[in-house]
Amino acid sequence: MPNRRAFLAGLLASGMTAELSWADAGGPSHLTAAMRPDGTYVLVGVRPGGELAFTQPLPGRGHAAVAHPARPEAVAFARRPGTYALVIDCVSGRVLQHLSAPAGHHFYGHGAFSADGLRLFTTENHIASGQGRIGIWAREDGYARVGDMSSGGIGPHEMLRLPGQATLAVANGGLLTRPETGREKLNLGTMRPNLTLMREEGEIMAQAALPEALHHSSLRHIAGRADGSVACGFQWEGDPFDSPALVGLYRDGALHLLDSPPQATRRLNAYVGSVAGLPDGRIAVTSPRGGVVQVFDPTLGFLSQSPQADICGVAASGGAGLATDGLGGVHHVGERLTRIGQHDLAFDNHLVAI
Amino acid sequence: MKHLLWAALVAIPTTLAAGVSTVVTDHILPAHARFAAATQDLAAATEACDQTEMRAGYHAAFDAWMGVNHIQFGPIEAEGLSLAIAFWPDPKNQTEKALARLIAAEDPAVHDPAQFAEVSVAAQGLMALESLLYTEREETAYTCALTQAVAGHLARNATRLETAWRESHADLLTDPGPENDTYKSQAEAQRVLYTALSTGLEFLHDQRLGRPLGTFDRPRPKRAEARRSERSLRNITLSLQALQALAIALAGEDIPKSQMAFADTLARAGALDDPALQGVADPAARFRIEVLQQGVAAIQRAVAEEIGAALGVRAGFNALDGD
Repeated sequence: MPNRRAFLAGLLASGMTAELSWADAGGPSHLTAAMRPDGTYVLVGVRPGGELAFTQPLPGRGHAAVAHPARPEAVAFARRPGTYALVIDCVSGRVLQHLSAPAGHHFYGHGAFSADGLRLFTTENHIASGQGRIGIWAREDGYARVGDMSSGGIGPHEMLRLPGQATLAVANGGLLTRPETGREKLNLGTMRPNLTLMREEGEIMAQAALPEALHHSSLRHIAGRADGSVACGFQWEGDPFDSPALVGLYRDGALHLLDSPPQATRRLNAYVGSVAGLPDGRIAVTSPRGGVVQVFDPTLGFLSQSPQADICGVAASGGAGLATDGLGGVHHVGERLTRIGQHDLAFDNHLVAI
Repeated sequence: MKHLLWAALVAIPTTLAAGVSTVVTDHILPAHARFAAATQDLAAATEACDQTEMRAGYHAAFDAWMGVNHIQFGPIEAEGLSLAIAFWPDPKNQTEKALARLIAAEDPAVHDPAQFAEVSVAAQGLMALESLLYTEREETAYTCALTQAVAGHLARNATRLETAWRESHADLLTDPGPENDTYKSQAEAQRVLYTALSTGLEFLHDQRLGRPLGTFDRPRPKRAEARRSERSLRNITLSLQALQALAIALAGEDIPKSQMAFADTLARAGALDDPALQGVADPAARFRIEVLQQGVAAIQRAVAEEIGAALGVRAGFNALDGD
């Protein structure tokens, strides 16, 4: 049995800060990556009122982050096809761990924690086979790599754990890319995106896809809703003027698109950049290419939209939503978009609720 | 480079501050008034269903639309009218299908403006009129009523836009501030106009020219905008002129590179004798259309340098980064 001294040393070495909670990190409600005016990159904590709670440097452009369910530590991912992720103590700013994708893998930029906070899951590409994998990392062993499992498809992008459950949801975008060809899409003719639900141990519980005719609609971003359904945001890889509706809902084993008038669909420029399930049951999606946030009712479909240049990050916050843009704006997403903060930062793709 | 652009974001030159009100009074308001008047004339021209009169009215209305087509924010966005006015690009021929459905069913919606507002937007605007006036089909009492319904609906939409701009949106755009829910600052008002300029140029380059050009191995002449009424090149010229007017009014100061690029590109368009851009499929003629497209690209660069940088508008951090 280890003595107290060794135990404490181990605790420090593993980066565990047992006494600290998110309140000690300035009370952030959300995390996002950003670029500073000088071109350097940071991870920032955002408070519900739009103020910054903390700012911690990143070595390169981030994409998304995931917050530990209890401890004030976050894992920030490089944008794909990156190979690094950093575990950051959001109180001290200290980098607790550098995670490197194992040889032959790269990250896709998203991840999730297990319900008990002991394991981190990361979406990855097994480069040789092109198959999507979910990397597994053990937090209590200093985020040691302990294995990986199938993502259930090609090109897994966003993954999350359903609220209050030990079920993981993975958006398999279906697009095959290779590091040597950058972001070039290598399988547009045969792509088959899907949503995969799996247990934390990797057992696939359900998979759902849009009808065959819509196989060019790449599922990239998802949001778990309180009732266990999953809001889905698609990116259309065909002619943008031929785009189908791009917001869907997975519920009771089936994935279907929400109604949207053609005018509203075109406004998205074939591209949904982030999805959020709002506490009142509605769904918010952003399109930085269309410069718009749209709000949907899960039954009625499209409700409203508000223009905002370069908007992308969106997440539930309090009774409504919070959104960030590449021009430094923080917005409240209610009936309409209301700017509540303005910072000298370019906020990156995703805003993540803690 | 990033440093420079961010510095520009903080300090907006006052010369550009004058631009917004000039754009509204000299460009947006008169162009919308012309569009409303031209569509009312068109509606009147359909009363007798005389094809010559209707075609003339259609061309005048389309000309006027090209003067406001790049103003895709404000009332047109709030009321969702853009596709109802011009449903293009239309890769699935939705306009033809929607018209065929109405005609086959002799849908009585054509006799009631409120009902006609609910039919497919693909059957509502200028592209529907083009099909009705330039596609071989049997002329019946129903197609006459349908043409009248489309023209009447278009005139009502144009009037809605003109009224909304004149009565409220012009004031919103020219009087930004913390009390203004739509435009919180002068910088925001300028940015929305600059976005209209850059998006209009992009649409010209990527869609009006890029769609028919396709690739060298696979040109797509049938994708030229309004090719049946042979307006493809005319739309490009009128769009260039409208964007040039917007650029000059917004800048409010000398923009020599942009001016030269606009003049050069307009000259290239003027020298082309190919109204429906069908030369895209002919290797010799295609070259001149590619050169025209390169001219638009040169305008895009000049405008970004002379107006965008001065406004501190950076290319989208998220919009240009796919994921």
